[in-house]
Amino acid sequence: MNKNQNINKDTTMINTANLVKTYRRYKKPEGIRGSIASLFRREYEEKTAVNQIDLSIQAGEFVGLIGPNGAGKTTLIKMLTGIIAPTAGTINVMGYYPNDLKNAFKKQYAVVMGQKSQLFFELTVNDTLRLFKEIYEISEKTFQANKNYFVQLFGVGDLMDVQVRTLSLGERMKMELIVALLHNPKILFLDEPTIGLDAVASKQIRSFLREINEKKGTTIILTSHYIEDIKTLCRRTIVVNHGTKLYDGATDELFERFQRNKRIKITFDSAVKTMRLRTGGAKLVVDEPYKKEYEVARQDAKALLAELMEHEPKDIVIEEEEIGIVVERIYQEGGNDNA
Amino acid sequence: MRKYWEISKTYMKTQLVWRADVIFNMIFTISKILFAYLLWGIIFQNKESVGMFTFHGMLSYYIVSSFLSQLEMSEGISNEIHERIRNGTFSKYIVIPAGIERYFMAMELGIVLFYLVFDFAAAVVWIFIFRIQFVFTTQWRVIVCAVLMAGLGMIFMIRLNYFLGILTLRFEGIGTFLMIKNNLVSLVTGSIVPLALFPETVTGILRLLPFYYVTYLPAMLFTGQCQEEAVRGLVIIGCWCVLMQSAIQNAWKKYFRKYDGAGI
Repeated sequence: MNKNQNINKDTTMINTANLVKTYRRYKKPEGIRGSIASLFRREYEEKTAVNQIDLSIQAGEFVGLIGPNGAGKTTLIKMLTGIIAPTAGTINVMGYYPNDLKNAFKKQYAVVMGQKSQLFFELTVNDTLRLFKEIYEISEKTFQANKNYFVQLFGVGDLMDVQVRTLSLGERMKMELIVALLHNPKILFLDEPTIGLDAVASKQIRSFLREINEKKGTTIILTSHYIEDIKTLCRRTIVVNHGTKLYDGATDELFERFQRNKRIKITFDSAVKTMRLRTGGAKLVVDEPYKKEYEVARQDAKALLAELMEHEPKDIVIEEEEIGIVVERIYQEGGNDNA
Repeated sequence: MRKYWEISKTYMKTQLVWRADVIFNMIFTISKILFAYLLWGIIFQNKESVGMFTFHGMLSYYIVSSFLSQLEMSEGISNEIHERIRNGTFSKYIVIPAGIERYFMAMELGIVLFYLVFDFAAAVVWIFIFRIQFVFTTQWRVIVCAVLMAGLGMIFMIRLNYFLGILTLRFEGIGTFLMIKNNLVSLVTGSIVPLALFPETVTGILRLLPFYYVTYLPAMLFTGQCQEEAVRGLVIIGCWCVLMQSAIQNAWKKYFRKYDGAGI
């Protein structure tokens, strides 16, 4: 196992200032007339996907990047990895301008996008690993050491010689991570790595990521729609919406300040009429004969739960507020001074 | 270079995955030769020669030309680039520390090497079955020129398809370009009808185009014809390769900044 021991924790890995990305997109009036008219006269609109983002990330950090769909998270990652060029602003990743696409730069990071794959679906994972060994010019010794380490860590020894296309989504994501980590990247960009995975697979992936961050010192930037991913892994979270940074700070503080409610889902064996509750502030959001859902302030959740138990429910599920609601609240109330 | 050789080997391995593909490719090669044998047999029934070809000369030309044209599979490159740019997954190639164009060159080499073996075996078998008196030049200088020309021709086609693929960055749809290219290639490579059957003025114009040197002239040289064109042909296809490389570099420089990776 090769740690990135030569990287000082105070080393700035990523630095951006006033980073902007605007896209130009074609607009067509509705209907066949609109289609014909657009042959002669095209209308375009500009969309700002990332707007004046300042960012500084130190070596070894595990940073969560959250926001609703279209917030600019993936665009930001694409700029940091050089896939797309910024429209304005400055960007520096490990001393490189990413969009120069220098091989020396590309050897120092890895990117895993939940909906894109680096694997060859017809081949086995071993074949793909062998290819990446050569592409990243990894020595045989390092290759074998890393491969053994990750195969053991991910528990996928028996899957290395089967066709990738026959793997489950969870297994495939583990393989994507192995391929990405084979060359000991200093930075790992993860864009929705747990998307579509079941609870068990997501938990496993989270556990591997924590180990890689702690034991190898890899700086990790993670985007996810799942609060669980962010809460359990990231000490620091950046919230973006409409391309603008709303919050940049401790994850604990973020959820303490802005995740105020819980949702309690309760089901019954027999039909139950709308209940009159003593707990103040509980809002009934779903009212069906066999199922009720309440939204309640975090501090009142315990009292509401105790009261609901009196009605002998079949099952009770307590959920945190979704990221989208938290982001909306930050947007309305303002984030923190770092944003 | 090792990384590119590994890319070639990887794509060779992908060709070996589907047995049906391998078998059908061989059947296709065999059926083409069979079809040519029957067709030219009828045409030559009452004639000693057509154009400058004897029956066996024509079949020899046809076998070499179809062998070369079957190896030319670079259209997959433009389709792959086009698809990936449109659906936002072209980043697969951007983020790895390997030249994207070289990656596609290596990919093509892997595929070609694989089919080279199978198609060559199929062609040889049929030459023996039909007892074709295979007409092949004995001049080493001409053979070397023909091999180099076929190689440069393939490099040109890879570059052309790569160029057309990256035009997706600018035009989003490249279907029309591909259609024009395919029609032009079918006509000018002589893979349907030997160009020697065209009037001299037409072949004079075609000689300036690169496609003339992809399949047609190498096949003619291998079968002992048009030997006076060998060196000039190498120079012309070499120039086209350089020109196409310059077009790629300009297009990439100009249009890559337009890539937004949208699609997913």
